[in-house]
Amino acid sequence: MSTVTQHNHPDTPENAAGTADVIALERAEIRSWKAPVAFAIFTVIGILLFIVIGRDGISTFRLSTGSDVIQLPTIPFPARATGVVIVILLAAITAWSFTLSRAAKATPLWAIAVFGFLFVVGFLVWASAGSTLPVAGLLIGTLGISVPLIFGALGGVISERVGVVNVAIEGQLLAGAFVSAVVASITQMPLLGLLAAMVAGMLVSFVLAAFSIRYLVDQVIVGVVLNVLVTGLTGFLFSQVLSANPTLLNSPPRLERINIPVLSEIPVLGPVLFRQTIIVYVMYFTIAAVYIGLFHTRWGLRLRSVGEHPQAADTVGINVTGTRFWNVSLAGAIAGFGGAYLTLGAVGAFNKEMTAGAGFIALAAVIFGRWDPIRATLAALLFGFATNLQNVLSIIGSPVPSEFMLMLPYIVTIVAVAGLVGRVRGPAAAGKPYIKS
Amino acid sequence: MLLSCPGAVTSCSLSAMSRLPVGRTVAVASISLIVLAGCATPPEEDAAAESDFCAVMVTNSGGLEDRSFNQSSWAGLQEAEESLGLAAQVLVSTSETDLAPNVQSAVDTGCSYVLTVGYELAAGTAEQAELNPDVDFAIVDEIVEAPNVKPIVFHTAQAAYLAGYLAAGVSTSGIVATFGGGNQPPVTLFMDGFVDGVAKYNEVHGTAVVALGWDKVAQDGTFTGDFEDTAKGLATTQAFIDQGADVVLPVAGQVGEGAATAALEAGGVSIIWVDNDGYDTLPAEFRPIILTSVLKNTGDAVIASVGDSQSGAFTNDSYIGTLANEGVGLAPFHDLEASVSPELSAEIEALRASIVDGSVQVTSPSAPN
Repeated sequence: MSTVTQHNHPDTPENAAGTADVIALERAEIRSWKAPVAFAIFTVIGILLFIVIGRDGISTFRLSTGSDVIQLPTIPFPARATGVVIVILLAAITAWSFTLSRAAKATPLWAIAVFGFLFVVGFLVWASAGSTLPVAGLLIGTLGISVPLIFGALGGVISERVGVVNVAIEGQLLAGAFVSAVVASITQMPLLGLLAAMVAGMLVSFVLAAFSIRYLVDQVIVGVVLNVLVTGLTGFLFSQVLSANPTLLNSPPRLERINIPVLSEIPVLGPVLFRQTIIVYVMYFTIAAVYIGLFHTRWGLRLRSVGEHPQAADTVGINVTGTRFWNVSLAGAIAGFGGAYLTLGAVGAFNKEMTAGAGFIALAAVIFGRWDPIRATLAALLFGFATNLQNVLSIIGSPVPSEFMLMLPYIVTIVAVAGLVGRVRGPAAAGKPYIKS
Repeated sequence: MLLSCPGAVTSCSLSAMSRLPVGRTVAVASISLIVLAGCATPPEEDAAAESDFCAVMVTNSGGLEDRSFNQSSWAGLQEAEESLGLAAQVLVSTSETDLAPNVQSAVDTGCSYVLTVGYELAAGTAEQAELNPDVDFAIVDEIVEAPNVKPIVFHTAQAAYLAGYLAAGVSTSGIVATFGGGNQPPVTLFMDGFVDGVAKYNEVHGTAVVALGWDKVAQDGTFTGDFEDTAKGLATTQAFIDQGADVVLPVAGQVGEGAATAALEAGGVSIIWVDNDGYDTLPAEFRPIILTSVLKNTGDAVIASVGDSQSGAFTNDSYIGTLANEGVGLAPFHDLEASVSPELSAEIEALRASIVDGSVQVTSPSAPN
């Protein structure tokens, strides 16, 4: 966000203060008004929404699900009063942020988080006035929608960090969904289906890697072609083969939900995080593994060096082509695994084009998350939250037209990418083939 | 007769990218010149078609296995192929940009009967009908006014009305729900009928069963935004179940399978399928939760219209499927028979008769007339 750069000579504060002669310190201050201006806009939206066209009535937040051991009481919020309180808080943060910017200081991240949280709570209270908002259900659905996005984004992060732009995430997800359904259906073993999904995602990656690394074809073009290829191929096989014998080929057993003892009884978070299928537990592990691997291991260092400056990496003896090839394959395996969630983890049977664009949202999450696995995960969760919020609000009867609500996840993504992230710099060598000279 | 992909690049291959909602295609939608397996070949057909009368069908972007009108229209044409001895072909559209070129290709085959499926094909059909007055056209689910176009439409609200009445009677929580794939007349027609059926039950029994997901007055409600993403159907239905709903009517093609999954997981929740009998078309694991289905007998209407064309009796009068002519109806309750009391069953039968004789009117802004 805002940065203060000092173009002064290497004067230490002591001698600056000590010698009266050296006064003319050259200071270039960069005041960033981005945060306070964004805050102000949202505060005005808050005033309009929560107060000017505020709604009367009580909105009830239900925190527990029916099957919880510890039942939390429901929390009633009087809609208009809550709106007023929240707007006052928002305005306070905005004012504080302006004073910070004036003093050329950055608005801290936690303030942005608090502001965002307050605004979302205010919006939820406003939208659910007069009805009950199932908070746990909202979050459970959020995670459900986000799982394939997170796997796709992790695959994207690895692939781009090593220097190969991965537009084929959609294809990898779809291939994973298709193959896992078929294999699990024939063998009746969902775990084997998961394995097959990784292989399928990897195969898609092999094509991407072969064309972009060996034959130096434009990586974006290869990715797009692969998406269309996988869509067409799975659609064709679905119509011609799977539909002919759905009982044998397209009736995979669904993975059981595994309740983790104790943890699954934590109020609110337990049902959301710890009553899931094995795919979701693997996801927690994968996020951590990719993060630690990328930034704290030799593997990650080599991978990133190949993505940033392949020539330098080559000079010190890293096999650029090999590193790229195998890490792009790994990325495909991760994305393919995520595709299995759509079939084995959620609905069971494969359906034509069932990814419905999830791979492209995952791609956006990679950029929004600045090529960082944790941030990319949060970006995917944000999209999942916006999508499920739209579901829940249209059901409890929000005053917003459904067409607008359907745009919500995309608007949130655009605002987030454009507003919060701004200029981002990806891995320097992403998209560029490495030609050893 | 296997129809090769005509003008492969233009009509069949634009493919999946452009089917996705605009927001998702990101920057890549423009790259579309890729020839691809998107032109699904029609099923093999080797029956000796002696007659030189041939019929061509053009699907909308749902494809042939949509468990909906494309599938049932094609089944109808195939049946006509057997029974009437004509030759049938199909052109599968994979995206919005295929539609008009495919209608053109269908006319270019020289066949004298062209069947288009879905309201998206209305413009292309009208255009070609004007250019080719000698060809008989029929369009499913949309009204096109031209001397040589026969609209085949369905008053699905009538059958959905019965389904709403049934749902209200079966619900123990007093909350039922419906959602659609998109806010389009053929979808919302079901939803209009459903909520009115629930209201009728409340009126008769003095109950207060709530129908979530559709506001008939505002003509707005809950939609998943597409007809493909089953995960959204799952999340939406879970949200309905969180609100206490125990009967759900998804009007969203394969997205409904997500609804069925959510219902199966939750337990005690049943699903009403649409277009065809979900008990037969869905995977067998869902059978215990399929309460009934709102049927749309597209196949029979297609057979009748192509038969008329073959025998020279073709007219442009609309065919409107209603409860009276059995163009729409309610499927059997199958496994959930026991949850429908004999009294409720009798009431629904009586209601059906009243709709047929006109003493009960089912209205909807989306209804065909």
